[in-house]
Amino acid sequence: MENTIKVERAILNLTQDELAQKIGVSRQTINSIEANRYVPSTVLALKLSELFKKPVNNFFKLTQND
Amino acid sequence: MNLKSVETCERTKLERFLAKVQLPNHYKKIGVIVVVLSFIALTVIKFITVDAIWIGPILKHVMLLGLLVISLSKEKIEDELIEVLRSKSYALAFIIGVMYTMLQQLANYIVDMILGKEEVHLDIASVQVLLFMLLIQVGFFELLKRSR
Repeated sequence: MENTIKVERAILNLTQDELAQKIGVSRQTINSIEANRYVPSTVLALKLSELFKKPVNNFFKLTQND
Repeated sequence: MNLKSVETCERTKLERFLAKVQLPNHYKKIGVIVVVLSFIALTVIKFITVDAIWIGPILKHVMLLGLLVISLSKEKIEDELIEVLRSKSYALAFIIGVMYTMLQQLANYIVDMILGKEEVHLDIASVQVLLFMLLIQVGFFELLKRSR
């Protein structure tokens, strides 16, 4: 699984800390998601989708390993 | 179905109960102080002669309680990644605890056999195992948190 959270965050001009506060997680969690070390739950993915105003598929993509 | 309902759907009754069992973040400091003080006291009574033989076991139980308080304390920001890391640390502590219990008994048996003791000790103190498991859990949780 790979994602473009960093790009989406840059479009909204948000820092990791600001994004974390908006969806109620820690800055380290955002960092882990962006670095593909952690795959978030459906709830968190939907929260991101609501914030970015885009479907989840737009910023989360399956890779060949999945 | 709004986002809050989806979130509630994903939480089972057991998970919600477990969330209630956790202590506020400031309890972690209290737990650390209790563990450190009981550890110092345990070290001191090893080097001085104390008449009261009950003080050692009592201090070990106090240390166990301190570690349990640390283990049950919430983080400043308690999110899903923290929950995942906590679950992993409990799983690791359980597996390593079982291995420790088996290997400790085996080690005791081998040492007693080598020393030629007639009475072989196969028992292991429950407090010792629980202290080891909680130490592993707290240690691995901190380690996982730092490497997240």
